[in-house]
Amino acid sequence: MAMRRVGRVKGITERKHNLVGYMFLSPLILVFSVFLLYSFYFLIRYSTTHMVIASPDVTPAGFSNYALVLSDRKFWTALLNTFLVSGADIFVGLTLGFLVSVLLSFKFRGRKFFHSLFFIPSMLPIAFIAAVFSSMLEYREGTLNNVFRFFRLDFLAQRWLSEPGLALFSVMSVAIYLIGIPIMYYIADLTTINSSVFEAAIIDGAGFWRLARFILYPLLKNAHKTIALSMLLGGFRQMERVYLMTDGGPGGATEIFGTYIYRMIRSPGSDYGIVSAAAVLILIIAFILAAVQMRFFRKKGG
Amino acid sequence: MQADLFKISRGEKRWIVIIIVFIALLWCLPIYSVITNSLKFAGFSNYTYVLSHPVQNVPFPSFFVNSFICAIGSSSLCVFISAMSGFAFSKIRFTGHKFLFNIVLMCLAVSGPIMLVPFYYILKAIGLYNTYLAVILPEVVMTLPFGVLMMRNFFDGLPNEMMESANLDGANMWKVFSRVYLPLAKPALINLCVLQIMWSFQDFLLPLMFLTSPKLYTATVAVNAFKGVYGVTAANLGRYNAALVLIGLPSVLVFVFAQKYIVNGITTGAIKD
Repeated sequence: MAMRRVGRVKGITERKHNLVGYMFLSPLILVFSVFLLYSFYFLIRYSTTHMVIASPDVTPAGFSNYALVLSDRKFWTALLNTFLVSGADIFVGLTLGFLVSVLLSFKFRGRKFFHSLFFIPSMLPIAFIAAVFSSMLEYREGTLNNVFRFFRLDFLAQRWLSEPGLALFSVMSVAIYLIGIPIMYYIADLTTINSSVFEAAIIDGAGFWRLARFILYPLLKNAHKTIALSMLLGGFRQMERVYLMTDGGPGGATEIFGTYIYRMIRSPGSDYGIVSAAAVLILIIAFILAAVQMRFFRKKGG
Repeated sequence: MQADLFKISRGEKRWIVIIIVFIALLWCLPIYSVITNSLKFAGFSNYTYVLSHPVQNVPFPSFFVNSFICAIGSSSLCVFISAMSGFAFSKIRFTGHKFLFNIVLMCLAVSGPIMLVPFYYILKAIGLYNTYLAVILPEVVMTLPFGVLMMRNFFDGLPNEMMESANLDGANMWKVFSRVYLPLAKPALINLCVLQIMWSFQDFLLPLMFLTSPKLYTATVAVNAFKGVYGVTAANLGRYNAALVLIGLPSVLVFVFAQKYIVNGITTGAIKD
């Protein structure tokens, strides 16, 4: 046989194996029905009711829960902050992550060491990173302020986590520590690039920066997209980053979806109907984002 | 390793090294911070203190045992389900194939925080609340869309010949899957397994919500408990940071031993069509 057929089994002439197919899928379908399908049903059903954990009574509420969430300023702050934090992750990933990956693709002594150094934080629990950052950024004893004071730059020593204008910035700064995953995608893609592309440019006399910016960067389109998608959706999953650094403070200035929902659930006498309504709204936003991005990928694939 | 992508002058190379070292130094500040803080006031005895003093009547090492149980449980279940479904989506033709796969893809958007309330009721209803399974099952659910996608991508890269004989029935199909394709997929299975162990170690929200008795706490939830127990007084700052260092160590060790699998796994799971 000249060519081995690789890929998905295709073609309408082939016999279908419905029973076997579903047999193989049965564990997935079971788990998804119990945990996801039922959860979606639960959220939609109870989002139009009042439901307090302490009492068994469920009273209808119509769409008042949705109205309540949509008129809650904290919800919109959380929406904005979720995008800002993911945006920071994406921005840092696509710039610093890209730069470091390109630099690491050159041979020099200690390259492997640096590669591991940049990747290891991505392995650590974000809870750990957030806790370390919050003690590093602490005002009186924090290492960052101590470094500034050591260099007699006292005016730079700030209340990083409790100043309203700075707190969100501090939360976003963790992005610098999360470039391990982008680096990995970039390096995987860099290895597939044919180096003959560059020869003409080098003869042309383009230096390192211009090669990186105008030739390499456009060549890595797929990696950019993968990174953007995974970090955007990752933003919806985050909670501990804000929870352990600022706990949404000061005054709700750093609230993201994760902490917003968590705080609603944990507040005494909380109405799970309202929580469900908020969850449905967030879910819809995430689904729209995922669908848009997915279409984006599809088209590219041809 | 391959050669340089393109040639650059010696001077430029020196600049690259300088920039990398500079970024690395900035990078080390948090690490420096946690280590110096962990030695504050009492030096290494902070570590012995943390290791020998129970937190809420639970000895410190048992938090790791809990993390380990959750990680192994969720990764084996996740690999099992992902492998079977990834195979089905790649190699078996059945009605609703495309529709179901798109649903799985869409579920990539489902995030932990919004599922907390329904998961809570489901776990209560099936009597698993405050057990290891209360963490394991939701963790599996949250990773499955990625796992299925990753395994399907891998099986797509394997040849179809074994699937094409006309007389494949269910029993034969299972044999082909378990004797031929599964052994071939070993690298992907190991990748997914290592990734899920890592993600489970990192998980914070699910154990925080669904484990109420301290003796079941995983290491990351213990971080949160330490905050309360060790407070923010100066003397406790060292102990808190020492606890943090100890919590971070297992992940670093997993990385050192499994670097290759982690990198391969995440890049195979990239969305492509």
